[in-house]
Amino acid sequence: MTATLQGVFGAAIRRPLTAFGLLFLVVVIVFALASPLIAPYSPLEIDSLNRLVPPNAEHWFGTDHFGRDTFSRVVYGARLALLIGIGVVGFALMTGVPIGVVSALYPRLGRVLMRGVDVLMAFPSLLLALGLIVILGRGVSNAILAIGVVYLTTTARIVYGVTLRLREETYVEAAQSMGAGTLWTVRKHILPNMISPLLVQASFVFAFAQLGAASLDFLGLGTPPDIPSWGNMLAESRLYITRAPWLLFFPGMMIALTAFSLNLTGDALRDHMDPRFREAMGNRKRT
Amino acid sequence: MLGFIVKRTGAALATLVAASVLIFMFIHLIPGEPAAVMLGDAATPEQVAALRTRLGLDEPLIIQYFYWAGNALQGDLGRSIFFDEPVTTVIADGAETSILLASITMIWVVLIGVPVGVIAAMRRGSWLDQGLSGLAMLLASIPTFWVGLYLILVFAAQLGWLPSSGYPSIFDEGGLANLRYLILPSLALATPNAALILRLTRASMLDVSKEDYVRTARAKGISPRQVTVRHILRNALLVVVSAFGFTFAALISEAVVTETVFALPGIGRTVVQSILRRDYPVIQGVILVIVCLYLVLNLLVDISYRFLDPRVELE
Amino acid sequence: MNAVRKTRSLMLSCAAVIALAAAGALPAGEAEAATLRYATIGEPPSLDIQMGTATLATTIGQNMFETLYAFDEAGAPQPMLAEGETISEDGKTIVITLRTGVPFHNGAEMTAEDVAASLNRWIEFGARGQTLNASSVEATGDNEVTITLAEVNGAWKSLLAFPNGGPAIYPADIVTAAGGEPIKPENYVGTGPYKFVEWRPNRHVELEKFEDYAARSEPSDGSAGAKEATIDTLQFIPVGDVSTRVSGVQAGDYDYAEYISGDLYGILKDDPSIAPHISSAPIFGLMFLNSKEGILAGNWKLRQAILAGLNMTEALQISVGDAELFAAEGSIFPEGNVWYSDAGTENYNQNDPEKAKSLAAEAGYNGEPIKLLVSTNYQQHFDQANVFKQQLAKAGINVELNVTDWATLLKERGEPGSWDMFMTHHGPSPDPVLLTFMNASYPGWWTTDERNADLAKLVGTSDLGERQAAWATTQELVYEQIPAVKVGDVFSFDIASPQLQTTWERAPAFPYFWGATK
Repeated sequence: MTATLQGVFGAAIRRPLTAFGLLFLVVVIVFALASPLIAPYSPLEIDSLNRLVPPNAEHWFGTDHFGRDTFSRVVYGARLALLIGIGVVGFALMTGVPIGVVSALYPRLGRVLMRGVDVLMAFPSLLLALGLIVILGRGVSNAILAIGVVYLTTTARIVYGVTLRLREETYVEAAQSMGAGTLWTVRKHILPNMISPLLVQASFVFAFAQLGAASLDFLGLGTPPDIPSWGNMLAESRLYITRAPWLLFFPGMMIALTAFSLNLTGDALRDHMDPRFREAMGNRKRT
Repeated sequence: MLGFIVKRTGAALATLVAASVLIFMFIHLIPGEPAAVMLGDAATPEQVAALRTRLGLDEPLIIQYFYWAGNALQGDLGRSIFFDEPVTTVIADGAETSILLASITMIWVVLIGVPVGVIAAMRRGSWLDQGLSGLAMLLASIPTFWVGLYLILVFAAQLGWLPSSGYPSIFDEGGLANLRYLILPSLALATPNAALILRLTRASMLDVSKEDYVRTARAKGISPRQVTVRHILRNALLVVVSAFGFTFAALISEAVVTETVFALPGIGRTVVQSILRRDYPVIQGVILVIVCLYLVLNLLVDISYRFLDPRVELE
Repeated sequence: MNAVRKTRSLMLSCAAVIALAAAGALPAGEAEAATLRYATIGEPPSLDIQMGTATLATTIGQNMFETLYAFDEAGAPQPMLAEGETISEDGKTIVITLRTGVPFHNGAEMTAEDVAASLNRWIEFGARGQTLNASSVEATGDNEVTITLAEVNGAWKSLLAFPNGGPAIYPADIVTAAGGEPIKPENYVGTGPYKFVEWRPNRHVELEKFEDYAARSEPSDGSAGAKEATIDTLQFIPVGDVSTRVSGVQAGDYDYAEYISGDLYGILKDDPSIAPHISSAPIFGLMFLNSKEGILAGNWKLRQAILAGLNMTEALQISVGDAELFAAEGSIFPEGNVWYSDAGTENYNQNDPEKAKSLAAEAGYNGEPIKLLVSTNYQQHFDQANVFKQQLAKAGINVELNVTDWATLLKERGEPGSWDMFMTHHGPSPDPVLLTFMNASYPGWWTTDERNADLAKLVGTSDLGERQAAWATTQELVYEQIPAVKVGDVFSFDIASPQLQTTWERAPAFPYFWGATK
């Protein structure tokens, strides 16, 4: 794992794009952690006298139709972006890893579980998330759950593939023949070897979660619109695209650059990953 | 080979049955009354209850499922609550738009993604390759609806070159020229997908070039150009073909948003609107058809892959 | 090898298709002059206008279907399919004479049987049928129907003239067959100037000129008088996205587009490629308060506190935009309307957080959350709810937004325990008895003794002066007990291509195009 991370930082020095990606992610994290310090205005403060003001010295990114400061909302939006990303990645890992490992170790149960994963994968991902959110209702945790289910499937598949491979490897077999318990094998041999492919998967899931959440927000079925999120900002501002095109520019840019940076990171991680697992990582699904 | 086809088809059918149960259960978990939506804001609870009964929404769920699944097997997906038309008609109406949109998008994806991917692979490591790969990564990270909105702003609202929205059928007045309505939507939809295929083409070409038989071909003294064309490109294309299965399915999924932005009468928008209207039969029908399509495409890709790829031995 | 060649030839042929399409591209807007393309906010529900109250269904349906009476420009009901009427002494028996020689689209001539069957179905199943409170409708002659009312109902002529959820006249066999079901599109047969051609979901509803239309001899006046289908074909095209509707008209793809977002008015009014039409009939936002359960039920002081804390001008500015498009008007009916009254309106638009605070304290309110149910399907609802939340926070009133989609809202508002307030809006109403908050079974369930007494006075007489006075008292009560908060009048605005010449300048509640040219 340390080798992988060292690889990424090494790559960052050699490849300016990766450096840009990492830097941008740092900016997003700083925005999220220190939003009250950075944002010059409250993201919710309504100012009916200053509606749809173009970018200027006071409002760097202009104001929206409530007269709210777009820059402040973009800054606060980073919180939701990180929350959604961490939530989706967490959910996908916490469900996908057990399903994948168990399926690989117990082939009979595995056949049933992986068939279930196949069934979920047969649904177009956005429609699956959309259906779930309509059932569960709008809300941050529901959006995380709805998008998380989509990536549960891909994560489970990857983990399944990786575990199968590891199981075949001699040291695991040797450990088993020596009478080691399954749990011990999993903890000692399988999970540690899985960290680097999971890191790669996590960064891609994180990236696609941004796009998925933005799509849901855009269709009016994502996070509650009274919370500033980049997707909600786009959804609310689309009515004003001809009158105030800048309103869509900044939140859209944030979504794109965040996803871009995460994808760059994922790529850099993958380049330094054990080639044995690259094949298992090939199957990517998008929202 | 036959055994392989039978086995895969069986698995696909099992998935389909499980998916149909899931679709049905899911959809009836959605809160909200189609009857209330149809009757409008001023409807009384009594009117809603009466319409509910009339629409057959009072029957037990399991009975509703067997009715639905049984009829679906005979090609009858029920009647739209909202349109009061067979669901198959509603789907057929949207299918033309969706299929054409997906096809034109695939053309952009292939025309742009594959050649540029090949160029990047052949110049591996050059500034050109790095630039193209970085650009592709960026494009793959942009929300399609954002691209779509700005395409409308520039090419429809400001320049007036192309229509902003809607799509009259090519079988209607205007004929094939009506395809111009699909140019902006397909470009928006193609943006991330062309980028993905570009990356995939590049990666598979590099993978294949390391294979033993390519080395053998090189060792036999075949010129590098011929090696590229004859072996590498051809085999890399196989990988790309297999990716089309899920790209096509992803297109239908992403088209939901694109069709909403461009007000296209496709099945993606039909699903979203049917969800908002709680038009259960249409949601069920469309999702079932999309899932079927996905399974069939993947099955075909699986089978053709086995046929085409000399290296894969049959299980 | 084969696969590659195939792919290549596929690519080539596809490229050819694209090239062809590009070459064949017509300059936008060169549609036939005889077709009017109307971009709607979405797919209409059933066009059987007796059965539903959706505005869009009425806008389309009024071209095909007619009612016995129709509103003139000033909002007074005038005969349409009726010729005239006589009313009995007690006001309960109304004998209506019908016009003769009026053909349906199927060629048959309209008879008293058709009218009686249509009215009876409307009374039994129609969306607003019960409001008439009729005990029977019979054909009492070849060209005569007799309506017997259970109670005197001064609003009867307005009710027969209001097309929205109103008593459209259909052929007797079609209404009898349909019963409580909406009439199917293939049976859309009326007497109007346009007849039904086809309905292609998500694409369009198409109507064409009815050549044998029997027009009235009086000059055209609002929906009343002569109607002439000067444009051959009407196409109603669902275009859900407002910016798409705008760019569609700018590009000449549509001749008319409804419900344009108010914030675009500022730039669009000077756009030479567009002619804006502000509506003449305001729609007003309503925030309903739960009178049945929860913290607000029976708590008049707390309700008054909420009303006192609201700044309607700000809410309207933000949700609507241009000042030409809204009016912070407390009267439920707009100025100039026969029902206009300023009774009780001093409590409207107070913008007084201090007063709100002290009223809330008197009510014993301690910061308990007040649940406000709102959907995002209507941007204005959400914008207003969001502004109200911030305004009430200044008065220490803690509003919690529950944001859902419209279908979920319709379900949840039916459960008295799950909400305290919800956002909706109200279309132009021809009579106070049709206002939703006056309906005791409408969510909110306002049924106090005072309300019942006022309502009894309102429907108990057909004398306009007495009824106006009764309504003024009722409106005063509305501002005291607050079954719902009126946000303010919003004038929607539509846009048209400058070539389209309509007979009206400000768009009617249901835009019509007879007499229009392009």
